[in-house]
Amino acid sequence: MSTETPGVKRRDFLKVIGAGTATATAIGCSSEKVEKLIPYLVSPDETVPGVSTYYATTCRECSAGCGLIAETRDGRTIKLEGNPAHPVNRGALCARGQAALQGLYNPDRFRGPMVRNGSSFKQVTWDEALNIFSQKLGSSRGGAVFINQHESGSFPAFLDGWLASNGMAPHISYDGESDSAAIAANRQSFGVAWPRLDFSSARLIVSFGADFLDSWGAAVPQQLDFADARAKLQGAPRMIYIGPRRSLTGLNADVWIPCNPGSEIAIARLLAGTATVAQAASASGAEPAALTALVKEYQAAKPGMVLAGGSGSRGQELALAVNALNQTAGNVGVTIRPAEALLGFERQASTAEIAALVSRMNSGSVSMLMVRGANPANALPQSAGFAAAMAKVPFKVSFSSVPDETTAVADLILPDHHFLEQWGDAEPVRGTLSLQQPTMDPVFDTRATSDVLIAAANKVRAGSYPADYRTWLTSRFPGGAAGHSSALGKGIAAGSATALAGTARAVPQIAAAPAIAQTRGDFYLMVYPHPVLGSRGANKPWLQELPDPVTKTCWQTVAEMHPKTAAQLGVENGDLVKVETDAGSITVPALLYIGVMPGTIAVAAGRGRRNSGRYASAGANAYDILPAAFDASGGLALVSTRARVSKAGGHAQIVTTEGSSRQHGRGIGKAIYAADLGRSADAHAPAGAQADAGGHAKSNAPPGEENSPGHHTFVGDASHEFLPGLRSPVANDAQGDFGDPKSKEKGMYDPKHWSGMANRRWAMTVDLARCTGCSACVTACYSENNIPTVGADWQGAKVFPDRTGFGANILRSREMAWLRIERYFEGGEDGGADFDTRFVPMLCQHCGNAPCEPVCPVYATYHAPDGLNVQVYNRCVGTRYCSNNCPYKVRYFNWFGYGEPNRPQYAFPEPLNWQLNPDVTVRGKGVMEKCSFCVQRIREAENRAKGEGRDLIPNEFSTACAEACPSRAITFGDAADDRWTVAQLAKDKRAYHVFEELNTFTAVVYLKKVLHNEPASSVTAPVAAPAVGGAH
Amino acid sequence: MRKKWLAVPGFFALAALATIVSAYSAASSSQGNSPVQPIKFPHPIHVQTLKMNCVYCHFAANKSPDPGMPAMSTCMGCHTVAGAQKPEIQKLAAYWNKKEPVPWVRIHKVPEYVHFPHMRHVNAGVSCQTCHGQVQNMAQVQQQESLNMGWCVNCHIGRSNPPLKARYDCATCHY
Amino acid sequence: MATMAKPVSPLDEPRRPNIASADIQLPAVKDYEQVDREITATLHPTTAWFIGLGVAVFFLLIGAAAWTYQIYSGLGVAGYNPPVMWGVYIITFVFWVGIGHAGTLISAILYLFRAGFRTTIYRCAEAMTVFAVMTAGLFPILHLGRPWKFFWLIPYPNWRYLWPQFKSPLVWDVFAILTYLTISSTFLYVGLVPDIAVLRDRETNPVRKRIFAILSLGWRNTDREWRHFARAYLFLAAFSTPLVLSVHSVVSFDFAMALTPGWHTTIFPPYFVAGAIFSGIGMVFTIIIPLRKWFGLKHYVTINHLDAAAKLCLFTSLVVGCAYMTEWFVAWYSGNEVEQTFFANRIWGQWWWSSAILYTCNMILPLTLFSQKLRRNTTWLFILSIFINIGMWFERFVIVVPSLSHEFEPWQWTSYRPTWVDYAILAGSFGWFSMWFLLFIKQLPVIAISEVKEIIPPKLRRRHGHGIDVSGRHVDYEADTPGEHV
Repeated sequence: MSTETPGVKRRDFLKVIGAGTATATAIGCSSEKVEKLIPYLVSPDETVPGVSTYYATTCRECSAGCGLIAETRDGRTIKLEGNPAHPVNRGALCARGQAALQGLYNPDRFRGPMVRNGSSFKQVTWDEALNIFSQKLGSSRGGAVFINQHESGSFPAFLDGWLASNGMAPHISYDGESDSAAIAANRQSFGVAWPRLDFSSARLIVSFGADFLDSWGAAVPQQLDFADARAKLQGAPRMIYIGPRRSLTGLNADVWIPCNPGSEIAIARLLAGTATVAQAASASGAEPAALTALVKEYQAAKPGMVLAGGSGSRGQELALAVNALNQTAGNVGVTIRPAEALLGFERQASTAEIAALVSRMNSGSVSMLMVRGANPANALPQSAGFAAAMAKVPFKVSFSSVPDETTAVADLILPDHHFLEQWGDAEPVRGTLSLQQPTMDPVFDTRATSDVLIAAANKVRAGSYPADYRTWLTSRFPGGAAGHSSALGKGIAAGSATALAGTARAVPQIAAAPAIAQTRGDFYLMVYPHPVLGSRGANKPWLQELPDPVTKTCWQTVAEMHPKTAAQLGVENGDLVKVETDAGSITVPALLYIGVMPGTIAVAAGRGRRNSGRYASAGANAYDILPAAFDASGGLALVSTRARVSKAGGHAQIVTTEGSSRQHGRGIGKAIYAADLGRSADAHAPAGAQADAGGHAKSNAPPGEENSPGHHTFVGDASHEFLPGLRSPVANDAQGDFGDPKSKEKGMYDPKHWSGMANRRWAMTVDLARCTGCSACVTACYSENNIPTVGADWQGAKVFPDRTGFGANILRSREMAWLRIERYFEGGEDGGADFDTRFVPMLCQHCGNAPCEPVCPVYATYHAPDGLNVQVYNRCVGTRYCSNNCPYKVRYFNWFGYGEPNRPQYAFPEPLNWQLNPDVTVRGKGVMEKCSFCVQRIREAENRAKGEGRDLIPNEFSTACAEACPSRAITFGDAADDRWTVAQLAKDKRAYHVFEELNTFTAVVYLKKVLHNEPASSVTAPVAAPAVGGAH
Repeated sequence: MRKKWLAVPGFFALAALATIVSAYSAASSSQGNSPVQPIKFPHPIHVQTLKMNCVYCHFAANKSPDPGMPAMSTCMGCHTVAGAQKPEIQKLAAYWNKKEPVPWVRIHKVPEYVHFPHMRHVNAGVSCQTCHGQVQNMAQVQQQESLNMGWCVNCHIGRSNPPLKARYDCATCHY
Repeated sequence: MATMAKPVSPLDEPRRPNIASADIQLPAVKDYEQVDREITATLHPTTAWFIGLGVAVFFLLIGAAAWTYQIYSGLGVAGYNPPVMWGVYIITFVFWVGIGHAGTLISAILYLFRAGFRTTIYRCAEAMTVFAVMTAGLFPILHLGRPWKFFWLIPYPNWRYLWPQFKSPLVWDVFAILTYLTISSTFLYVGLVPDIAVLRDRETNPVRKRIFAILSLGWRNTDREWRHFARAYLFLAAFSTPLVLSVHSVVSFDFAMALTPGWHTTIFPPYFVAGAIFSGIGMVFTIIIPLRKWFGLKHYVTINHLDAAAKLCLFTSLVVGCAYMTEWFVAWYSGNEVEQTFFANRIWGQWWWSSAILYTCNMILPLTLFSQKLRRNTTWLFILSIFINIGMWFERFVIVVPSLSHEFEPWQWTSYRPTWVDYAILAGSFGWFSMWFLLFIKQLPVIAISEVKEIIPPKLRRRHGHGIDVSGRHVDYEADTPGEHV
């Protein structure tokens, strides 16, 4: 990893285009067309064309402040990965972090500063824009308000200093996504906003709607810890999820206790012993039996961990009650660690402050409004009328670099750099600075807001600030500029940005929301923040196309309801329903989901955005029907009202990647009961082999494998004993074990061949006990392998009316995701709450005996000596026979010219195509593609090793999905070499192949999920976790 | 009689087939292509007279898949003084003063679906001339070899002279 | 070559001959002159024919336009719905290859079996075969993602040392189809030679005369020529007989070689061959029944011929029905849940309607042919033949689509719905086929003149003083062929 040294003129980077053109479309031989070779003017030191440079920086997609490693090739950042040295994310990165690149290269970004010109905007130069800005600054003193995206680090202090020097009030540091109820309660109970949650030392986790794997708090570190805890297998904590909707975290829980929205507090009281089971059950609508079991287990299992989320109108009350539970149970300091708090959530303003601003703006007491990074016009429900109020403000400046609801009403737009283009820092944990540096030259004519503020200040009083923000930053850095630049390599440094005033902000008095029971309507409405879109993701096609981990829908807003609720309404899956509250109404298709409490309608917020770019308008906006109600902490209460739901007539196909949500006993996602782990290998391989297909003993064969190997009971069926490791470590030829041993012509398939290719067997293990289904790997794969998104409105073939609109191609299941997360339910057919979820990452299995290979008439797919199942795009003629013959259905066809500019289906409109990975061919129209095990990374590593005259080092590199995985479930490597982690994991007693009975000898080995079906207690001694975690 | 009448259409059929095959099989290539460059850069002078090494200008050829084009500053390093009055050099200077790069016309190019790591070849002792021809003698660079797949494979399977050996697995270059 | 039988009076007409014998007479055909006259009379274009041709070309153009659009914008414009990666095109491909089989069966196999009822219908069937195979041959190219690269499936020497994957059934297809096309067109042409000679001799237009002269390869109706002709014809018949079985077996391998549930079964080759012959005979009815009406050839293609063919049709229908039931049995007996659930879905689930169409058209309706009345009722035969064509198209639909849409991986279970592009190209294929066939019937005799002459009663010969032997040695009164006054 090379570091960025001061003095490099990155402006020179973009002058090189030669290698940049290497991502033109593959097919359609372009060797004829005249191309230019553009040299550098001045060659930047430390960069070699065609070789990546890696910059350590900090992610700003949420306030957690994860560390990034940005891979930059020929002046363009092409891939983001987690910084292994970073204390927060330890090398992992979530889907939203991956997709930051599509914010950087977003085709709808502002090209430069703009000033309002009647109803539209007109482009101006920065000088003009700065003049206007500084004039207005002079004229409006006291009445100015600055809203900044919530972030830790030096900038907030810098900003407040700047505001003070202009006689303005401190800025409002706003983040609409984090759970302010929990934050306020934590501050009150522990004095910190977000204590570290140590899942590993807990025996029992009780979550009141806290979706800590997705959108609640800092998802990545929480996932890392949670996965590590569950990977302890026998010593692992059991998890009970209480809430009206089974979120991703809920699906990872062992028990789900459904209850009515806003009634969690009753169950919390039960645990506290201040209420009886009967009272709690009647108040929450939960099963008394389940509550009794809960109490019993809660009292037995020590230490425990209780978490509160759900953002109901009594959120803070619940959070305080839960903190009290933790304190009385002595969990604080053991499982809840305030000492190791995450600082990313300190000092953040509540939504109520924005709401308070509405009345101030209406009253005309706000003379100037400045907004950076935040989008207040969409932070509040439309009913709060922020935009209308904002229009009354004399002068509105937006520093946003992308259009959104706020910029629509702004007067002056001074587009900020994307965070990958500017300097900064964050303080994610106490005493550690996470440094932020530009990873490339600005894409458009934008300027860092910090520099704009400095320029404006220096216009008024020359020399009041150093030349630019970077100088200001480094001057205050321990060790100064030199120390700063030396620290940049690692991306983190000891030190503290600002003495964080540990004081909670005053919450303005907001009319408290009426109790949800008092609102009108027959159904509870539960609005929840979209797990992957958040508030910034709506215009990023990767995130729009990434199926929601729970519902598996994309490009669409749906009303999730329990089948019983649907029956009551008389609607089928996909029927349009009108969801109506006093605030307004939306009409969306109904989605039947057994993970919702009957009587509750769940709608995800984050889609249906206005004026936010070409992709963002997909779906409907849940804030249209949400009343502006707040909890005591001033947080927006997403669960605050009931709704009237009626059949709207009409039908809309559900845009989903799901075929059947049941695995029909085919043993795709297998599981084993924790109790069976201790048994000898043959006693449970495959799990339940001895049990008869019908009633297998509960302690032996978990559901979901009745039809899988070993479960056939008819005469003549061979027993399919799992063979540890891989059946064909080295493919003799494409036929795996069935290769002709007599044939002399083995070529490179001969292990003794000089190339030695056949001595490797690239393979992967996926630990289902770790996988949480978060889908970060999917986006990582899109980013690494130039996979096109196909769901945009204009990308479909407008042939049938029902095949148009957003998601049109996906209605025909034409998504291109090389890696998909299959989400199977086990149990709950009766609509009961007791069902288990299996998340199965499904990708090309690189079979040693691949069905796809012999049927390709032109050898476009074949087996490489090193165990890869190769797809040669330029040889493919597109018969699609390989896909027909693939049992795993992991081959994807280019139905349109997704990679060809000037086609309506083009998936990378300028400048999104700048992100394309030059090492990976962009596939053309009419060819098949599939997971390549990141062969480009294999070749790169081999080239590197060759250059250094050495052999590959075990775990030297890994695939994009494995690098990103925030639960470290995926491990990649050479299974023929025992020094690689994957070779060890493939021998694990939980290991199995999917569809082993087809004799495909897959190179992807799954490790069974572990079911913790027996109530937790404090007695079991924790068992050491197996070595996991590929190249880390 | 019969022969004649069958021969004619048969001949046409064969001719058509041959045309299609030759047209579509990668036999077609830009071999011999020798476009005029914006500046008449004389390789012979630099290589033969001045004894400059290829890697002096194409600085990345031995450490990157991409050989690298010399930065303008590299040229100006000498040519601010050396032969500054020559018309071609003045063209160069003009570009430099305008802070514009010279738009060299690309000659050697493999399709995007082929990954050609220069360093692997250079470090394996494949001379530049093997693929690029006797550039040191070319007043105007010309594509000497066809750069077709068959031409590549020939060396990879060791049919070259002297015999060189390299992986000939498809996924060595195509991915 | 047909055996000489004693003449029968028109009154005996209803008597049903044994289809295994050649004992089918043409009482209404009196002499050679009449044969030449009546059959060549069918070659004069009529307005109806021009309209028909126009319609055919119109549909062809629609199909061509749709294909152009598809090549430009990509296969996505067709209704593919992964994992249903094959659809209407492959279905239609198999459909047309199937149609192609009756021709060779009737003209070659029945010829070897001396089944006399073939005489007047085989030319029609033979031509149908050639054009059907021409149509079918388009589809493998048409369904490619990159059709302009189709020739990569053909092994040709190239300096990249790249060859096709000879393990792939698709490569076998290429060989099978090309072979079949070559053989069947040769067979058709050879059988035509003596008839073309007749046309040549009756032709007045010098240009056409010249063309016929070339095509007839200078046929002079001599003893020697007839002997060679007989040998060649016999040889070609023997040569193309195995093809009837092999070609469609190879086509069935496209499916049987895959491990897709519903495809991965050993009964496919015989099942496909039977289905092919069944569909072919269906198509023969669809063509010949209108033809004998419009061309006034009812006394050539008699009810007896149709009756006999209908029996063959009934037989093949029973074979096919047996194959269907075997499939059910296998699915049940295998005990393989994947196969069973797929089958349940095919018959009672998602795709029940297509299976219903299939079984009705191919198993149930043909049973009516047990009744002699219906067998000899041309209207019913025609309607039934339409049903059979539809049923056989759906047979392939049921094989291709439900299998792919309901495979091993439940997460990827989908549906399938063709688009207008699929339909347009389907229609285009019918246009293409009809165009060729219409052109054929107005250029060349749809009934084999020479073979008909062989079975008209010998009394004619007596009228002309001296006999004529089987090999067709010429006689004086036929001195209408030039250069034959030996």
